[in-house]
Amino acid sequence: MNPIVVITLAVLATTVRVFGLIGLSILTGWLLGYLAVKDRVFENTYVSVIEVLESVPVISFFPVVLIFFVEKIGGPVGVELAADFLVFTAVVWNIWMGIYQAFKTLPNEILEVSQNYKLGFLERMRNIYIPFSLPRISANLFPSAADGFFYITVSEVISVGTTSYSTFGIGSVLQSFTASNQLNYVFYAMLIMGVVIVGVTLGLREFANYTVSKYALDTDTPITRRGRPRLRYTVRFSALLSRSAIQRLSSYTRRQILGSIRLRRGQAEEARHVVGGRRWSLVTKLVGIVILGLLVWGITVTLISVPTKTWMHDFANTPNIVVNMAYDYLRVGIITLVSLAITVTLGYLLAVNHKAERVGVPLIQVLFAYPAPLYFPLLFAYTLPGARSVFGPLTSEFYVILLGFISTFYYVFFSFWMGVKSIPHEYWEVMRNMGMGFTQKMRYIILPGTFPYIIAGISSTINSAWGGLMLAEYWPGIYDSHTLTVRHGLMKLLDVSTAGGDLALAAWASLIFGVVVAAYSILFTRRMLDLSRKRYVVEEGIYAA
Amino acid sequence: MSSNQKILEAVDISYTFQNGFTVFDGVSLDVYESELVAIVGPSGVGKSTLLRILGGFIQPHRGEVRLLGRRITSPTPEIALIHQSIVTFPWMTALENVMLSLKPKKVPRDEAKKVARKMLEIVGLTGFEDLYPKEMSGGMRQRVAIARALAADPVVLLMDEPFSHLDELTAEGLRQEIYQILFSVNYLKAVVLVSHNLNEVIELADKIFVLNGSPARVVKLIHVDLERPRNPKDERFAEYLDMLYNFLTPVQKHVVQR
Repeated sequence: MNPIVVITLAVLATTVRVFGLIGLSILTGWLLGYLAVKDRVFENTYVSVIEVLESVPVISFFPVVLIFFVEKIGGPVGVELAADFLVFTAVVWNIWMGIYQAFKTLPNEILEVSQNYKLGFLERMRNIYIPFSLPRISANLFPSAADGFFYITVSEVISVGTTSYSTFGIGSVLQSFTASNQLNYVFYAMLIMGVVIVGVTLGLREFANYTVSKYALDTDTPITRRGRPRLRYTVRFSALLSRSAIQRLSSYTRRQILGSIRLRRGQAEEARHVVGGRRWSLVTKLVGIVILGLLVWGITVTLISVPTKTWMHDFANTPNIVVNMAYDYLRVGIITLVSLAITVTLGYLLAVNHKAERVGVPLIQVLFAYPAPLYFPLLFAYTLPGARSVFGPLTSEFYVILLGFISTFYYVFFSFWMGVKSIPHEYWEVMRNMGMGFTQKMRYIILPGTFPYIIAGISSTINSAWGGLMLAEYWPGIYDSHTLTVRHGLMKLLDVSTAGGDLALAAWASLIFGVVVAAYSILFTRRMLDLSRKRYVVEEGIYAA
Repeated sequence: MSSNQKILEAVDISYTFQNGFTVFDGVSLDVYESELVAIVGPSGVGKSTLLRILGGFIQPHRGEVRLLGRRITSPTPEIALIHQSIVTFPWMTALENVMLSLKPKKVPRDEAKKVARKMLEIVGLTGFEDLYPKEMSGGMRQRVAIARALAADPVVLLMDEPFSHLDELTAEGLRQEIYQILFSVNYLKAVVLVSHNLNEVIELADKIFVLNGSPARVVKLIHVDLERPRNPKDERFAEYLDMLYNFLTPVQKHVVQR
């Protein structure tokens, strides 16, 4: 077949895979989100599971994926499912949480209207819940799609020991072109992928604009009745989303109080509603128990199936795992600091300069959405001599940190940018009125005012940096005969043990890593988020009765 | 109460929104020393926009604003703005909120604290220095915002419906004190107040610019010649109120200069 046709089909296959899995996430999110708002037990289980799994980097699922899909199922189906599962875990949490939050913050008045008209489940979903969730879904689509493209290109080719598994897509096609040194086709592939990425980015921006203008409450954005793209409004809806997110989160209590008042009205109609609610409650409890049961069963089966000798081997390697993890946390720390430094300057300049913002933000989105695994080998090849002369023995470190930065910078940037956009105009007037300089604005107003956004952005950045490190810490044949690798690093240990067929060690290292990440999330990130929501909410600084 | 020194002056101001709508045209006003000047008009007549033009926050499409004879082209601490939506910073205590306006002047910390305490005392918040805004009522928060504005040594204070987000009792209490508070700092030369509350305007203002029409113009300048403190039950108070109603209702589509 003509290579250009193959490339086009491969790009399409990868894109369909990403959007198919996003579609699956949305469908399941609607169902599970509805169950969650209907039953407290299910809700607690659902939200807790999402919070823990969301904080565990997607890459730590890799060994589990390999063991289960490639070894147990096998064949092309197993490889396809492995790649799909990996991408699913990359895109699903944002979307599920967004839908849940949308359902949870549905205004009580709208719910009362739906009860008044006795709307059934499907009618409620179609007319109320689904439309109300669309702005939140659209806000989460862009990072989900970008993450999906990143991981799909990595996971289309999987090596375990001497066996290499691959599934058709741009990741696998590009690797075969690179291996056979057909550089012209590599460029074609990157070009076609670039066209798709630009189309996807602009399409998602327009979709988000459309959903916010049509479905979000309290929006000042006019409803689009004709199909002309209006990208310039994107800034406004992003700011709107960021502002309303906190307002909506803060309305949880109100709705619960109103809900309890509704139940106290002991009329026959309400009683029937409560009986119906109990039926729902039983179903949702059952679903919650089944999910928990499956998790416990999976863990137990895995633990029992591991022989004692393997356990001893894994335990003996634990100190080595911890040391390697420390190296990676140091790298993640550097990536986060560099991202923050660029973010607070570039993000601020773009947020206050509307002309630069109209060009800069879509450009950054396109660059971020373009999967780094596709172009990084070429970047490496062209810059290696220069990088060697600058960084000397630290050249590999430079590339590892660079890929980590590329794969993650967007999160903290976008989060901070949204935070700056959500600062009330009165604050800007006060700053101008007082004649405050850049440093004073940053120190006293902008950094404290965007603190919740910065913490959320840093949290996403830290979680996402691992994907870049996983790829960069051990990349055999990145270009020609070069192998990009470092001496120490947990991601390298995972890569090497997976490639060497020692899946038990990889799984053990992943487990320890997952526990550390979850503990970090609970002990640090959540506390910082709580603090920021208690004290650093700019909306509370504006008193308008 | 006014003297002869002209403090703030707006000459032939026009402003057109991005959608092409000219909100006001040919508006001129002047504010003399020790005057509290009010701007009134129907909703949408551009009162808040005019106030922001006076403060240099927005540039007019025609005309200019002068402070003590100097043209104003950008915001300056010499003209302090008090917002309709009461603005405080939730991560700062009352004292820190007030000290903020002294930061750009690089006032030493101890000195800044002293000035901030003095300003909080003037607005009646002694003893509340360490409270955060969320621990305060709306009236207290607006007092903090006023203290912050006064701490910046302004020559003119612009107030954009400063009592509209307060309940009536709190608003009345603050209204009764505000004149005394504002002119107790000797560097403050004049105040410009925008309001849609006609009682409030007659209670506080030395002179009133009435805007009306589309595009709006100054349709009347009223000098309020009443003793302070003013009593809304006073017969002459009611006469001024009637006069204001006459110039504001009905909302004029075409301006007739009276």
